[in-house]
Amino acid sequence: MAEGLHHPGCHMGSRVFVTGAGVVSSLGYGREAFQRALVEGRSGVTKVSGFDTSAIGRDFAAEVKDFRARDWLTAAEARRTGRCSAFCIAGARMALEDAKLAQDAIQGERTAVVLGTTMGEVALIEKLDRAWVASGPNGVSDVEVSRYGTTLLPIHVARAVGARGMVLTLPAACAAGNYAIGFGADLIRRGRADVVITGASEIIGQVQFSGFVRLGAVAPDRCQPFDLERQGLIVGEGAAIFVLESEAHAIRRGATPLAEVGGWGIACDAFHITRPHPDGEGTLHALRKAIADSGFNADDVDFINAHGTATKANDAVEARCLNEVFGSRRVPVSSIKSMIGHCMGAASALEAASCIETVREGWYPPTMNYTQRDPECDLAVVANEARRGASSVVLNNSLAFGGYDAAVIFARPEKIPADAPCLR
Amino acid sequence: MTPLVITGLGAVAQGLVGRAAFEGATREREVGQFRAPTLFDESKWPGARVLEATDFDPAPVLGDKGLRNLDRLTRFFLVAARNALEDAGLKREGKWTEGADGRRAGVCASTAYGSLESMVELHRVALLESPRYLNPAKFPNTVINAALGYVSIWEDLRAVNATVCNGNCGALDSVLVAETFLSTDRADVIVIGGAEAMHEALYLAFERLEAMATEGQPFAPGDPDRSRGMRLGEGAVLLTVEREESARARGASCNVRITGFGTSFEPPPSEVMIINLSAEAIERAVRLALADANLSANDIDAVVSASNGYAAYDRAEQSALAKIFDAPRPRALAKRAFGETLGAGGAFALGTAYVALDKQIAPAAHDSAAWPTDAKRLLVLSTGFYGNATAVVVERAR
Repeated sequence: MAEGLHHPGCHMGSRVFVTGAGVVSSLGYGREAFQRALVEGRSGVTKVSGFDTSAIGRDFAAEVKDFRARDWLTAAEARRTGRCSAFCIAGARMALEDAKLAQDAIQGERTAVVLGTTMGEVALIEKLDRAWVASGPNGVSDVEVSRYGTTLLPIHVARAVGARGMVLTLPAACAAGNYAIGFGADLIRRGRADVVITGASEIIGQVQFSGFVRLGAVAPDRCQPFDLERQGLIVGEGAAIFVLESEAHAIRRGATPLAEVGGWGIACDAFHITRPHPDGEGTLHALRKAIADSGFNADDVDFINAHGTATKANDAVEARCLNEVFGSRRVPVSSIKSMIGHCMGAASALEAASCIETVREGWYPPTMNYTQRDPECDLAVVANEARRGASSVVLNNSLAFGGYDAAVIFARPEKIPADAPCLR
Repeated sequence: MTPLVITGLGAVAQGLVGRAAFEGATREREVGQFRAPTLFDESKWPGARVLEATDFDPAPVLGDKGLRNLDRLTRFFLVAARNALEDAGLKREGKWTEGADGRRAGVCASTAYGSLESMVELHRVALLESPRYLNPAKFPNTVINAALGYVSIWEDLRAVNATVCNGNCGALDSVLVAETFLSTDRADVIVIGGAEAMHEALYLAFERLEAMATEGQPFAPGDPDRSRGMRLGEGAVLLTVEREESARARGASCNVRITGFGTSFEPPPSEVMIINLSAEAIERAVRLALADANLSANDIDAVVSASNGYAAYDRAEQSALAKIFDAPRPRALAKRAFGETLGAGGAFALGTAYVALDKQIAPAAHDSAAWPTDAKRLLVLSTGFYGNATAVVVERAR
């Protein structure tokens, strides 16, 4: 083991704090405005404006309609980035400001950027392909070509914030936000970084919108997680980006933590490329690992921000797993996808932003559009109206394409027990 | 880093499937047989030269059922993963051997442009016909982690599954992701590496960036004064890695270990640039990897280069290595033999390092310096197009 790599102030097993968060969503910008809209039960779902949906039979989504890159990006950044990367930079700038972490205070080599997405710059590939079909290879702009690539998301952010450590994309589909946050926390705990800019971003493209429709997964006009009458998901977009810091780094600069990142669990169902395992084996493992690694047991969890896509299969399996892990204890559960749709790679990052606000303020966001209890989803759903409650320990759950499962614990700072496995 | 032992290798590339064939190609292939493309219309790309796995057939390894809707990338991954697990003695004829357990096994591997083939295919349907005709069975392939999702399904890898993207550096980055997962007790064995599949859109992209060496133009990775550009290859190299104690406990060979990792990013010097071939990033990544392995540059016997034939790219590495080493080290030039495989490039390099140390194979594709007869420690490089660079140190145990 090369101790020389570890920064003097950063020891193995360090606590990891979230000290800043930035949100780009169909319900607005910034973590506080985002959570306020969720608590008010507002919906970001409207008719699709980004492309023609007349042929596909579904026309509702939760788009970020008023995003102007130049509000957050320099002119040069706006020119060289696609919409997905622009969301990331905007989120990162908000998060740094939130963390009161001046860009020149970042020690570049000790700062990593780890981001999640499902399809990255999907709109760019559609644009390039349209040009190729219309005008042949010479019609494809070399400038646009160099802007394409899932790899570029963290690279654009690293440039924007002055990070010079690891730049990594973890395209873990709908669990990508949890993957990025979990792995980012691991990088700090294992002494590889003092600061990690992490989170996830997703934009809506025509192919992926239409593909979800063709899979039979999309609801006509509203998302009803865990409801008997649920008809599927609503596609959404957005980004949530966080500043994670080692305890030593946060203390050194006098930062105020928003929340602490606890343990996380991942697994792969290895069952079906789009459907969850009917017994939820991977989900159960991820949930239990996240809780145990945080030094908690299931009774310590106050609130669950569920994956809750409102597809028949997801919600039934997830509900069964939550009941198996939490037993007869009726832990309050909510799915904010009822308001912001399923933001795919960004979903669990946006949900993490809400979890952090729940930890801070104690508000459980509602599951909107909940009208009839489904016996297959026998959960303590926070139905249609936000409420306050205990919020020392909050769990963020996600399932994804490819059989991915990931769960992350967020807690009040210093709430994670000192002997928790994740801190050893 | 916690040292990881490499216990198995699987590979697919032009003219080869499996470890023995990869060793043979490393030993004998000075330059790959770059030819006109067959996977897309060569008449549209006069003089194009690529290295396609034209004779690749997954059926002898995987059987012929269940392959119909899988894209080329997924098939590469599946075959290489089966190879790697069998080579490590963890599987036999596709089944776990006694004591091996899918709940403690995972995969973390790289692809830079993995879903491009399916994205373009489905977008053409949406554009030229109608979105209502998109094939739902093929839609999952547009999601970049689908290929590894299928690997978990086919190979019963349930502990962890992570697709790792950092352009050309992703495959070496999978080392750190796997080391993190193994060290935090998420798995006992992880398949790492990368794969990339040839596609006309990829060729188009690099042709538009004027990065290609076409027919008749010099292609000489590692020799930037002579080389005109890079040439694309395709395939997969996957390696099975484990903590040494668990590999020893099951009686696996622990002959080769990964002992150091370093990665770095350096922004371009100008705001208008995106592409950045950065000597500074390479140098920093190497210094971090050496420090991580508790080694100095003097301990390194040879280098597995990332050079791909694009002059500015190769010069960046040359410049970085000149600052690291007092005297030049022999360099294996894996991309002469296998082409630029992008997200898989670091995996081909790591595979080259592994067989070179494990079997004392002198890679045929190397620069003018003689390959050391008793190489013990190798530095493996990957360089991205955007100022990203990753390096790892690989050592022979005995």
